[in-house]
Amino acid sequence: MDQAIVQIRELSKLYRHGDIEVVALNSISLDIGRGEFVALMGPSGSGKSTLLHIIAGIDRPTSGRCVVEGTDVSELGETALAAWRKQHVGFVFQTFNLIPVLTAFENVELPLLLTGLSGRERRDHVEAALELVGLADRMKHLPRQLSGGQEQRVAIARALVTDPTLLVADEPTGNLDAHSAAEVLGLLQTLNSAAGKTVVMVTHDPKAAAHAKRMVHLEKGELLNGGGS
Amino acid sequence: MTIPGFILRNALRNKRRLTLTVLSVALSLFLFTVLQTALRELSQPQVTEQSALRLITRHKVSLASVLPLKYQSRIARVPGVKRVSRLTWFGGIYIDESNFFAQFGCDANALFDILTEVTTDPEQVAAFKKEKTACMVGIKTMNRFGWKVGQKITLRGTIYPANLELTIRGVYHGGIDETNLFFHHEYLDEATGWRVVGCYWIQAANADAVADIIQRVDAMFSSSAAETKTETERAFQLTFLSWFGNVKLLIGSICTVIVFTMMLVTASTMSMAIRERTREIAVLKALGYNGGQIFGLILAESFALALVGGLIGCVGTWFLAQNVDMYVLSHGFFVKFEVTPHIVSAGLLIATAMGVVSCLAPAVASVRASVLDGLRELD
Ligand SMILES: Nc1ncnc2c1ncn2[C@@H]1O[C@H](COP(=O)(O)OP(=O)(O)O)[C@@H](O)[C@H]1O
Ligand SMILES: [Mg+2]
Repeated sequence: MDQAIVQIRELSKLYRHGDIEVVALNSISLDIGRGEFVALMGPSGSGKSTLLHIIAGIDRPTSGRCVVEGTDVSELGETALAAWRKQHVGFVFQTFNLIPVLTAFENVELPLLLTGLSGRERRDHVEAALELVGLADRMKHLPRQLSGGQEQRVAIARALVTDPTLLVADEPTGNLDAHSAAEVLGLLQTLNSAAGKTVVMVTHDPKAAAHAKRMVHLEKGELLNGGGS
Repeated sequence: MTIPGFILRNALRNKRRLTLTVLSVALSLFLFTVLQTALRELSQPQVTEQSALRLITRHKVSLASVLPLKYQSRIARVPGVKRVSRLTWFGGIYIDESNFFAQFGCDANALFDILTEVTTDPEQVAAFKKEKTACMVGIKTMNRFGWKVGQKITLRGTIYPANLELTIRGVYHGGIDETNLFFHHEYLDEATGWRVVGCYWIQAANADAVADIIQRVDAMFSSSAAETKTETERAFQLTFLSWFGNVKLLIGSICTVIVFTMMLVTASTMSMAIRERTREIAVLKALGYNGGQIFGLILAESFALALVGGLIGCVGTWFLAQNVDMYVLSHGFFVKFEVTPHIVSAGLLIATAMGVVSCLAPAVASVRASVLDGLRELD
């Protein structure tokens, strides 16, 4: 493993409901190297999503540090964090989360709207991203005109289009049939091996995890065997 | 796609709701501008070029107090005064109290030189001038009572202890008010034996002289027993409209209610629109949109909605003013119905301000909500 792109040190996340305290993450330390494809595994409620959210900068730890590409994400303010996310993270959700009234093309273009890119540059980027996920012929389709697997591939294109260092995916195949799931996993694998993207994927499905280069097991908010696979 | 394009797509999601909202805003603004125009027409009633040159001098204390007759020649000598006539409110009753209309004693020779905008038959005016008990009546009052020229009528005095037996010698048309009756002041003087005047009616030589005349006349009598108050005919008419303050208040409150309703409608639309997009907004945040940008998107959508509604409403009002004869429709109540740029811009300003204000609460809430809270929201 060369230089770690994600450095997690003694990271804890607590949820408090009145008197009851839920420990979602308990003093976790983990390094993820550049170019890795990590599968975060574990039973439901083990803290996988929480960890992924903190890495992706949409949640904050209660204590400990999470440094991504030299930036301690937990120290950024909301606006700076948003800018940081735009630059460094591509997010893929379980439920795709495409905007229903926008075409595939427009959904992918969304993260680029607030950049200084010209319309032409945006189009080039969007077309390249859709090409990469194999949907160049579906650009004008609305989400409801696409299959689940195609929707998820559009979502992956949307995550890719800003050329982020880190691709995070929370159960990306959770809502897909076996065939589409295999397609999406294959795509993530290609992006990792051919395009050199660092991928962190949450899954509880061992078959999905098998596509990753490395597996990290969580249980009750703690890492099993110190994060080794 | 561009940012405005994205805002448009968002706005067009629920076309029926959008249409209804835009139409409610349009209707509200239509009512608002119509009422404001009506209010304006009421506040600036029916000024003609000639009437702007006319002034009324009355007793400073009250309209019921009278002025000495000798003031007339002194007013006539004030620079800028072209003519001056006596003008005394008789307040008589024709048969029954319900038959109200205004009757004035005046200088018969000066009357139609001062009241220049009305049309008369020169022969009738000549006949009127010759006969002390003659009177001239506006066409509306003629028609109302079915009077004919040459007919004799009796006005029972209420303020003055005299009954006037008048002969209608002529009719006038046009002008500000077609309901008045004018008779010879001399007849009133003789019938009562009093030598007093209600008001003086001044005609200024030109518009520039008006302010000067007001100042000079009032200064001239400032140390007399009967101090005067001189004002333009228009200002004077407004003091008669004692109900005017109430109408103004009423129209004002209706406008407030309209604006408030408009705000509620946009507010409910925007909060629905934002609520059903909670998850998408969270996704946008996850993609790197910051709070300010999300806020801007929501604000722009609400603003555009209110602006379009407002524009439609204003066009509607303009269309009404262009194509409907408000003079006929309002039975002469409104001579003109002028939708001014000022009213239109005030309306649009209010509509767009409401658009902004009405989305503030849900917009702020959605900016504040964490990405995770939004993502957890079910579609
Ligand atoms: N907002 C929250 N409030 C309280 N508890 C939470 C919240 N989010 C997650 N948790 C708890 O944290 C633990 C880890 O959750 P999560 O990371 O979603 O697990 P996983 O993704 O592995 O299923 C669970 O026990 C869950 O109930
Ligand atoms: Mg989870």
